Formats: sequence, C-alpha cells, structure tokens
Amino acid sequence: MILHKAKGIHIDGRKQMSKESPLHEYLNPQFVYIPLLQQTSPLKRIVEVGDDIKIGQVVALREGFGEMPIHASVSGKVSAVKKVWHCSGKMVDAIEITNDLLQRMDDSIQPEADTTHFTRQELIEKMKQAGLSGLGGAGFPTYVKYLTKLPIDVIIINAVECEPYLTCDYMLINSYPEKLLKGLHYFMRAAEAKRGVVCFKSYNKHIKELLQPLLVNYPGVELKEIKDIYPAGWEKYIVQQVTGKTYEGLPAEAGAIVDNSATAMVFADVVEKNIPLISRVITISGEGIKNPRNYYVPLGTPVKDLIQLSGGYSEGLSPEKAWYIAGGPMTGRAILIDDLIVSDTLGAVIVKPMPENKLHPECLGCGKCADVCPVYLTPTEIKKAYETKDVELIKKLNAQKCMACGLCSYVCPSHIEITDFVGKAKDLLRKGA
Amino acid sequence: MARFANGKAPFLRSSDARNSGTGIIMRDFMIGLLPVILFAWYKNGIKVYIEGNISFLEMLYPLLFILLGGLISTLFEGLFFYITDKEVRNLKALGKKLAVSYAAIPGLILAMIAPLYTPIWVLMFGAFMGTIVGKMLFGGFGNNIFNPALLGYVAIGFTMLGVINNAGGAFNASEVLVDAYAGATPLGTLAGAKVINYDTLVAPYGSLWNFLLGTIPGALAETGSLAIIIAYIWLAVRKVIKWFTPLIYVGTVFILSWFIGIAAGETGMWFPLYSILSGGLLFGAVFMATEPVTTPKNPLGKIVFALFLGVLTVLFRFIGNLPEGVGTAIIVMNIFTMPIDKMTAVIRAQGIKKSTIVSIVGLALFLIILMVYAIVKGGNVYSALITFVPFIQGVL
Repeated sequence: MILHKAKGIHIDGRKQMSKESPLHEYLNPQFVYIPLLQQTSPLKRIVEVGDDIKIGQVVALREGFGEMPIHASVSGKVSAVKKVWHCSGKMVDAIEITNDLLQRMDDSIQPEADTTHFTRQELIEKMKQAGLSGLGGAGFPTYVKYLTKLPIDVIIINAVECEPYLTCDYMLINSYPEKLLKGLHYFMRAAEAKRGVVCFKSYNKHIKELLQPLLVNYPGVELKEIKDIYPAGWEKYIVQQVTGKTYEGLPAEAGAIVDNSATAMVFADVVEKNIPLISRVITISGEGIKNPRNYYVPLGTPVKDLIQLSGGYSEGLSPEKAWYIAGGPMTGRAILIDDLIVSDTLGAVIVKPMPENKLHPECLGCGKCADVCPVYLTPTEIKKAYETKDVELIKKLNAQKCMACGLCSYVCPSHIEITDFVGKAKDLLRKGA
Repeated sequence: MARFANGKAPFLRSSDARNSGTGIIMRDFMIGLLPVILFAWYKNGIKVYIEGNISFLEMLYPLLFILLGGLISTLFEGLFFYITDKEVRNLKALGKKLAVSYAAIPGLILAMIAPLYTPIWVLMFGAFMGTIVGKMLFGGFGNNIFNPALLGYVAIGFTMLGVINNAGGAFNASEVLVDAYAGATPLGTLAGAKVINYDTLVAPYGSLWNFLLGTIPGALAETGSLAIIIAYIWLAVRKVIKWFTPLIYVGTVFILSWFIGIAAGETGMWFPLYSILSGGLLFGAVFMATEPVTTPKNPLGKIVFALFLGVLTVLFRFIGNLPEGVGTAIIVMNIFTMPIDKMTAVIRAQGIKKSTIVSIVGLALFLIILMVYAIVKGGNVYSALITFVPFIQGVL
C-alpha cells in the first residue's frame, strides 16, 4: 500500500563521545555473575557452590523452547548463588564465580583445523551448543531461526545500531572487520543462502572502507547503506530495504534471516575456535560518565567495574536527578540501583542527567505520534481505548504491532508517556485474550 | 552504590530541547496570526485613516478590538480557574496554569472573525460562550470538542446578528461610502441575488485581485487572503499544521464550485476563484480546520475531515440560506472528529482488508453522493433553466 512505505525520523546520534577512545578489553573482573535468566526463560543451574569452573564450561541450561547451554565466562570457583540486578529490570538469581585470573580453558575450546567440511546441521548444532543468542537486544536463540523449513535466500547482518549513544557494534567491527565477514559466511552456510548483506548506517562510511577490500574473498556478500533514521535497525525495516518484501511474523517468510553483527562475530569464533558465547562489547556512555567508552568484557561482569574504569560518574552528577539506563535511550530501561551485571542482551549502559522539568500542557492532539509511527498505529486512539478498557478496539487498532520503538513519546510536544500507554494497552490485550 | 531516578523509555524527548514542545507550537501559531492581524489593522484602520474617514484614535480601534478579544477570553479563563480550582488562587499559580492552557487564542480568533463594529459586550458574550462553554466546561485545553472561537462566533451569529448590524456591521468607514457595495459582502450578494454572474458578484468589488489582496468588505480579518496564504506557508513550514488539510479543504470547495458554476451555465474560472477567495474560507481552512484539539489526529482522518468540510461548506453556502458556510461546516465536523479518528485509525492500522472495506466504501460513497447532490442542487438553485442535459454536458 502506498500509505505504508517504510519511514522513520532522524535523531541526533550522540555517538561520537564513546567512539573517541578505542575498544578496551577488560577480561579479568574479580567476580562474574551468570544470571539464571535468558530472555524470559529461567535457567537450570547445574553447578554447585564450591565447584571448580573453567572458561567455556556449561554452568546452566535453558530448557523447553530454545533449549541451549550457558557457559562460564571466567575460570575460578563458584562462590555463591545470589540475586543481582538484571537488565530486564528485575533481580534474578545468578551464579557468582570468583575469578582465579588463570584463564583456564575448558577442553572443548579447541581450534578447528578445517572448517570447510561442516554441514548445515553441524553448524546449527554448533550454534546451539555455544548458547549463541542475539546480541542486538532481543536475545533470541540464534539456532532456532536457522531451523526454519522455509527457503532462505539472504542472510542480513544488522550493523545499523540505530539507538543513539550506542557504538558497541561499530567499535567491534572496527577492531575485527574480517571476523564479521567470516561469521556471515558461516551463517550463509548454515542456512544454505547464496547472498549475504551487511547493513550499516550511512554515517558509518568507515565500515564500508574497512569491509570493501575484504569482499573479494567472500562471494555473495554485499554491503548496504541504510539511511540515518530511527528505527532503521528494526528487523522489518532492514528486510524491506534489502529484499523489498514485508512479512507478518518472522523474516524467514521473506526468505531472510537477520542477525546482529556482534552475533556473527561470536559465531566466527564458535566455528573456528569452539569458543562459546562468553563475552560481548558494551557501551558505557552518556553525559553522566566521565570517559565514555566501549568495553570488551566476559558476560556477567559487574557494570560498576566498567564505570569505575571510565573514571566514574561525571562531576556534579546527582544520581537522584539522573537516569541509569540499561540499553539504548530509546528502548532501554531505567535501573534504580547502579548494580547491574553485563548479560547477553545488554548492549549499553547510559548514564544521563534528567532534563530540566518544563511545564507541560495536555495533549493538544497535534497527531505527530500518529505521523511518526513506523507501523502506522494511531497512539492517541490506543491510549483512549486503553483508558476505557476497550479490549476489542485495542485489538482493532493493531496495538500488538507496536514494537515499543519509543518514537511517539519522543516526538510528543506535550511530553506524554504515550509509548508507555500503548505498552499498557498491549498488556491488557495479552491478559484479555 | 547510588540510587538513580526512575523513568520511562524513551529517555530522549524532542520536547526537552529548548526550542520545541507545545509552547513553541503555540508561539508559532501566534506568529502565523500576525500577518493576518496586521492586514486587518491596515485595511480597517490605517487605510481608512489615510483616506481621511476616521480619526487617529479610531484608527487604532481594529487592533485594540482584536487584542481585547484575547484579553477578555484570558480573563474569563482565569476567573474560571480561580472559581473552580482552590489551588490556583494566587497570581503565580494562576499564571502558570494560564501559560499552558493558551487562554488568549479563542478570544483573539473570535475577534478576528467578528465584524468590525461588533459591540464590545457582544464580543464578551461570544468570548464567554467560546471560552467557558466551549472550552472550560469540556475540561479545558485539549479536551474541548468544538473550536472555542467558532462556537463563540456561531453563538453571536445566531443571536446577535441584528445587534451587530445596527451597530455598523462589517463595513468600515470607507466601505460604507462605496455605493457599488450596496451594503453587502460578496457572499451576501451571492445569497441575495441567487445568480452566478461576474457583473453581479465580482464587478462591484473591483476585480478578483481585490479579493486576493483582501480589500473587499467582510469580517475584520478574514478577507486578507494574501496574508492568510503567507500565514499558511509559515505554519506549514514550521509544521504547526499539516500542509495538506487546508489544500484539500479549499481544493474541494474550488472543484465543487466550479462544477456548480458549470451546472448553472457559467463556465468561467472566475467563479471557483471567487468562491474560495470570499468569505471566511481561507481563514477557516488555515486556522480552524487545522486546529489540533478539535480535528482528527491521524493523517488519514485529516484527509477525510477536510473532504467533508469542503462538501459541507458548499452545501451550506450555496444551498442553505446561511451567508457563511465555513463556520457552520467546521462546527458540524467538530462533532464527527471522534468517530472519524476512531474509524480512520483502524483503517490506517489494518490497511485495506475485509474488516475495513465496509467502512472505506461507506465513507467514499457517502462523500460522492454528497458531492453529486451539492453540484446538482447547487446548479438548480443558481439557474432557472437547469435541466439534467446541460448539466451533464457541462460536466463532460
């Protein structure tokens, strides 16, 4: 439909502040905490307090849908099981491992001499055994996507990173460009796809300069520049830009699988070195951080270590007048206690002073929220339907299509929490249905 | 460990920036009114003064009249707050409250669309109806169903027309002296003469250029078509209003008037131009059909709203007995804002599907039937000779 062309708006990226310093490695935190939660599934712990742990050893299992093992990210001893703050905003049980700083590897971590013989099934099994999940923020188990029965024409690597402040994907590609293409190559083999596309945002021309010379070794791989708009990193938007097709449920319906660039780079290690998902890059940024940077850390690292490494909070920051945001500023979550741990879905921690309190009038009905909505909803009507608890109408208004990109609240001139209202309407729909 | 503030995503808001937010939208809206106000002052004050028909103090009157309108409605709203809300019974709190409820706008606009010699007490009555009945009783800014200024206008239009005319009406001191006007505004002439004829409708007022410039008799500020077009461009560029709403509204009136002209045997392009340049059409299209609170919120709703406005305006203007169709059409459509919003929001969310096709086809059919009726009936009213054959010939 003509009315339904893809759209978005430009938002000031504020990415420069965390790009200035190179990628820092912080591989030996004193403690790591492996949360017993992946996506919304609780994990089954299979180690006891006092057990000796090596890097890459399985410590917990996800069961049921998306079953897979979860691995230790440092070597040492299990010293406790205790509650920690998870980026989902809840306190969850976590396995505390006291690091012995010896970096002892599990026996399973062995380089593969030859990777050419792996079949599709073997590659998918490797994803599963490595506990590979989407590092872009959703944390969906990667192998599940590759089990699809639908024919896959194209693997799309999402390096768009449309959230402001975030540079973790960019910095990682910047450091290991070839790894990205390797990961994509293995992904293509795992789906028997002929085509691979790396999508990056137009201002990150540097990615193109890095990757272009390497493409000769990777047939079928191409680069695609995506406009600098938000939410350009949205899966549906990217698939539409690359294939010209839209879909209802999963990208596989359009013959595509979308993976985050960081996931692809982990997969390269999974295939070549048998290193499971045990580390990631996280952006520590925002106006409330003295030296914003990106860190390459084992999963389970306490974020407070990283903030300390960044010089702490900037001077004059009063925490009760600032946000501590897990994730990007558009879709992230305010965490009340600055005691977060790094988990697979945590791409950034942004500390940001709250803006001055302006006096805001009521909704004037300008309709900017409806204008900007990438899925063509009318948030004001959904809010009204929510207030009258009209579940039938909420359904008709397609509230379930909302992906909580946050644009409606972003553009609202009256500072109304309209995204939140749509979220509540969605909850109501889920309960009502 | 430190305790941080709670908040809701997104943590970036465009309204946090100093140069954005509802306050800025309203400021831009006021700036948009400025050329129109200045033109009204020029036409009814400065120009008449230069022609030597009024004194210096009388020259200031049109400007003061408009500002007075704004002042009166601000006072009414302040009084309402003072009486109903115990917490704002001091000047500071009251000022804060008035700052985010944009109290001056209804009265300001009411004064702009009222005839020049409306007695002040009539203006006060209109402002009372607009601000208190039209706005505050509905729950204040953001909750009103009717455009407050228009409600006030309709109230004085239906009850006080005689009083206003006795007091001097819309004609300024220079216009009264022009014999050719015969005491009627262009639309008044149309309603009275019931003919579509250049010599009757346009010639007494000079040419269509005068219609564009606004030097024709009419309500205080609504004749200044050129000033309104400038305001339109400003408001559209600043994204205060959606650019397409006024265009669709005026376009619909243009096309329907053209067809009515053809149906009545007048094929000249002057008639549709005359039709859109006279009366309050441009003013209503730019400042009232786009008023955010009382018009649909999603783009599709705005389109439907504007189309209906065009048809209703033509119906009221050419077939009803009202000299002015714009105000009535907008008030009537204000009632339908909520259902249109709901209907179009569903259509927009779901696209063309089985579940929405009934409402889409229904809406379209209703619009088309109304349009055809307007053309046939309009042609009938303005031509004694009308039969279906010349009408069809004309259209083809």
